Amino acid sequence: MRRAVAINLKIPDNAAYTALVTLRRLGIDVARLERSEIVRFADAPDPAALIAAVERDESLFNPNKHQVSVLDADAPRPGEVWIVQDDADRPVGWRLYAAPDLPADNRLLAQAAERLLCNPAIERAIFPRSLG
Amino acid sequence: MSARIAVLVFPGTNSEDETLRVLRDCGGDAHLVHWSRGALLANFDAYVLPGGFAYEDRIRAGAIAAHDTMMDHVIAGAQQGKLVLGICNGAQILLEAGLVPGTAPIRRPTAAFTRNGPVPHFVCSHVYVKLAIDPGRCALTRLLEHGELIPAWTANAEGRLAATAEHLRELEDGDHIAFVYAHEDGSVDETASPNQSALGVAGLCNREGNVLALMPHPERDAWTFNHPDRRRGGTMLAPSGGVALFRSFVEVLNR
Repeated sequence: MRRAVAINLKIPDNAAYTALVTLRRLGIDVARLERSEIVRFADAPDPAALIAAVERDESLFNPNKHQVSVLDADAPRPGEVWIVQDDADRPVGWRLYAAPDLPADNRLLAQAAERLLCNPAIERAIFPRSLG
Repeated sequence: MSARIAVLVFPGTNSEDETLRVLRDCGGDAHLVHWSRGALLANFDAYVLPGGFAYEDRIRAGAIAAHDTMMDHVIAGAQQGKLVLGICNGAQILLEAGLVPGTAPIRRPTAAFTRNGPVPHFVCSHVYVKLAIDPGRCALTRLLEHGELIPAWTANAEGRLAATAEHLRELEDGDHIAFVYAHEDGSVDETASPNQSALGVAGLCNREGNVLALMPHPERDAWTFNHPDRRRGGTMLAPSGGVALFRSFVEVLNR
């Protein structure tokens, strides 16, 4: 079964913080921001086995600084935009929150991608399906 | 009184010293301006963005720096016609800021210097760049010869120009391709580029010709001791070929 996992830092993520500060400077009102590396598997085992496999792979996962979760679908979560340069790449997932526990709507996501997170000359933004 | 040149220092810039020295050796009144003192930039007549990194190149190379308040001054200055030169990371910042090629609104990039090809590795090698426009097309190259060859060092993992086919055509049609990679004898073919840069591009200028983004480092071949054949003799501190661009820049600025 096709599955995707999000690997993100459990230690402070300076890149995410810098992106947050810059988005705010651009007038894009984001309360919180999380950055993940998205790893997609074409033929994945059940979620528990997949997490165990990822946690064993030292090229993907460092238990001292990473945490991993299996996504419900092979697509961005609510409030998340995936940025990909080549289709062979692992997307970077930027998950934005309009309030501490409220994922950003697609309008805010599109704004953040257009103004900062995505350079359309070399990258493509993949939005949650509801953006169409 | 000679024109004042600001050499910008972002967190992570690492080529400011040699850039400052070559500008001064060419007679430029150059000064370092650190990111915490960006307000000073309004008092300068020209800007040079040196190589290195900026804010760890978080998100993308040059992306955060392009939105730094320092760049507000550089953008305003460029729009007034001040000369701006970006080298390596400085070139990446200029593309992210949309100053080069300058065919879209500011901070809406239409091209990028991105991951090298064929493999996305760091490349450090001696190269030659060849002037590919009429020297007068860009103010910074005005005193160079037609097709002048400038030695430089390339030192980056993200120096390959990439853009959509439509924007690459726009670069060609608008005469934005200021420098291409060349062989030592001046010939140009696809093997001259160390990174599979689109159209062999090493440097781009904006529509008005006052902003130049150059990926390799001519300031690292500005003195004989920097040059690969330095043991051939002569004074190690004698100027080398890389100074030509800075001489043109400083002399045009001071006229």
